[in-house]
Amino acid sequence: MLLGLGAAWLIMFIYVILITLRERKLRKELDRVRRMVEHPQK
Amino acid sequence: MREKIIIGLAIFAAGLLAWNMNTIFTGLPDELNQGAIYRIIYFHVPANILGMLGFGLGMFLSIGYLVTKDLRYDALAASVTEVALVYASIGLATGSIWARIIWGVWWAWDVRLTSWLVCWLIFGGYLMLRRAVDEPNQRARFAAVVSVLGSVNAYISYKSIEWWNTQHPQPVLSIRNGGGMAAGMEAPIWWNLLALACFSTILVMVRMRQESFAREIDTLRRMAHAQ
Repeated sequence: MLLGLGAAWLIMFIYVILITLRERKLRKELDRVRRMVEHPQK
Repeated sequence: MREKIIIGLAIFAAGLLAWNMNTIFTGLPDELNQGAIYRIIYFHVPANILGMLGFGLGMFLSIGYLVTKDLRYDALAASVTEVALVYASIGLATGSIWARIIWGVWWAWDVRLTSWLVCWLIFGGYLMLRRAVDEPNQRARFAAVVSVLGSVNAYISYKSIEWWNTQHPQPVLSIRNGGGMAAGMEAPIWWNLLALACFSTILVMVRMRQESFAREIDTLRRMAHAQ
């Protein structure tokens, strides 16, 4: 039974980690592209 | 405002889940034939219900996109479908662990299990398709078609335990005329469903914000190329 509950929480935990990493990557990319548009010579 | 809703929902869901876990582990007796392992049902059933509802909702949002060509429908459909796939994964994993204990095998190729696995693969393909197509309208159109096809399969999977004799147990919930559980044992399934639904709402809200970031990045890139 604990294996089942552990599996459920593990899947949820992995997804939350992935979604957090994706958010960080998107924010960095957004900042980079914003800077690129604001200062096109760089 | 969005942050406050997310924090409020997270606190409510965590509290409800903690209270419900206490009920499941300390307040309920073991099942007569299965023993303690039956408690997996308290995650297996809510996860699969949310998976099916998510795929269904994704289908309606995809149809909304096809009718209006509004990409916000597509963004919401993608967010809901991705979270639904996570819940479907939890449903498959917990079901497989239960089957190993009760049936003695990890997997059986019966109609319910197979159709749900096919559904999981279709929606996994849906997410891969979205990564493979760059043009937003084309991506939304292709994804909408896959979502509709996948949701038909999800409905077949939902009804399969009524339409065919399956190794998978027949309906147990009272709303499906199952009547296979005592009222006190069924209630925690609904409370867990509510808690997990709150978590899924949080995840969809976060995913929607990411879709909005992705759209903004796309727009800015086009502007940068046009300069």
